[in-house]
Amino acid sequence: MMGTALLTAAMALPAVDFALAESAPEKTKVSFKYLNYSESQYTPGIHSSTSGGSDDNETHHHAVIVDLVSGASTTTTSGSGTGAVSSDRIKVNAYTVSALVPIEGKWSVGLNYTYDSVSGASPQYHTSALTTMRDQRNAGDISVTRYFSRSSLTFGGSYSTESDYLSRGASLMGSFSSEDRNTTWSFGASLSDDSITPQLAGIGNKSKSIVAGLVGVTKVLTKNDIAQFNIGYSHGTGYYSDPYKANDNRPDRRNSATALARWNHHFEDSDGTARLGYRFYSDTFGIKAHTLDAEYIQPVGSGFDLAPLLRLYTQNEAEFYIATNSPAETSPTPVPAGQAYSSEDQRLSAFGALTVGLKITKKVSEDLLFDVKYESYHQRSDWALSGKKDTGLAQFNVQSIQVGMTCLF
Amino acid sequence: MKRTTIRLLFGAPVFLLTAASIFGCSAATTVQPWEKQNLARPEMTFDYDPLDTRYTEHIYSSKEAASGGAGVGGGGCGCN
Repeated sequence: MMGTALLTAAMALPAVDFALAESAPEKTKVSFKYLNYSESQYTPGIHSSTSGGSDDNETHHHAVIVDLVSGASTTTTSGSGTGAVSSDRIKVNAYTVSALVPIEGKWSVGLNYTYDSVSGASPQYHTSALTTMRDQRNAGDISVTRYFSRSSLTFGGSYSTESDYLSRGASLMGSFSSEDRNTTWSFGASLSDDSITPQLAGIGNKSKSIVAGLVGVTKVLTKNDIAQFNIGYSHGTGYYSDPYKANDNRPDRRNSATALARWNHHFEDSDGTARLGYRFYSDTFGIKAHTLDAEYIQPVGSGFDLAPLLRLYTQNEAEFYIATNSPAETSPTPVPAGQAYSSEDQRLSAFGALTVGLKITKKVSEDLLFDVKYESYHQRSDWALSGKKDTGLAQFNVQSIQVGMTCLF
Repeated sequence: MKRTTIRLLFGAPVFLLTAASIFGCSAATTVQPWEKQNLARPEMTFDYDPLDTRYTEHIYSSKEAASGGAGVGGGGCGCN
């Protein structure tokens, strides 16, 4: 069993989110959340048409996913005689406990602990050669906030371990509000230092460091509208390659920039709330990505809220991404002579993605809340709005369920 | 690669200035403290359900190339 944690979907440590927080919480808040996550990939078989593609590299592919290793369950359906193939990939069970404790009205301490177990199968290249893996992760973080009359300062530290990955991080965040508290300026900075010990002979120990900064403004626009705008920049150096994938040799530097705009609007007529967000992302791997988020929260009586959500995402491929070489590949695509960097990781290809979901929240009392959320995620190269589509990749899907509880004391 | 870095660095401040001017010029009438009961609802805040956000952001950052934007200090893991 390879401890291929570098391929896993383990839970990351949380980011300290920008929010209006110029006053300490009045009560201690304790939350628990469980996540059940499962991935699969699907190749529909022979396409009847690939209309709409303007690029000439679009190929009709006869779908066969080469499943080299037992343990990844693969089913072949013969609908219309096309030979569609569906394979399970990674499954994750994650548990997080969180507490936010106010101290003397001027301070608060936040604590989080996450345990997750990851198992299943991950491709060695593109969506081929699924290889089984298993890993566990333990992660904890602490944050301390000092509240002033119109500002706050938060210091955070984080720690996370997997069988082959150790991450340590520190962050500092501040916010300042105008006198009428309708405008809040925020800044944040973070450092992380990761140690990677791939469980493969001949690679040795690796490391990665990331320095990141963010500035933002949150503004009350009307009594029913609030908006936020953030700009972020991240500078990373170290080992970015995935040692468990074939032909994976990425640059040892990755800088990225983000611009995020969010807008929440409350509808007085329906008592519902719309939450909208757009993020632009750009990095030195040559990837640009656009993300649109929309969620609508509607109270329906008896303490229940229903919240449908929709998310749209698109990215182009990394400059060094190497596409599939044949419709039913049985080996990685050779790296072109003279090309310094390469990756055949599906996550660096051009694709579009759609998420639909529904969250149900039940407020039992002012101090007790339960929630359940279901999400269905679909990622396809055909849906990329820019870049060069690699039509030899299988479709990638995720189903996830979250169950949570929050108590106030 | 170098040109891309410069483009990244150049693009961010321009975007920030544009957004700041939009925010600055939105001549919204000042909302008074007693008019903020809707804004105080949990679903109107940007950190509504942080545990949901942390799971969701992590799933996306491990399966897509893009990440970040909402906060700082997210620790690393071996997932991407």
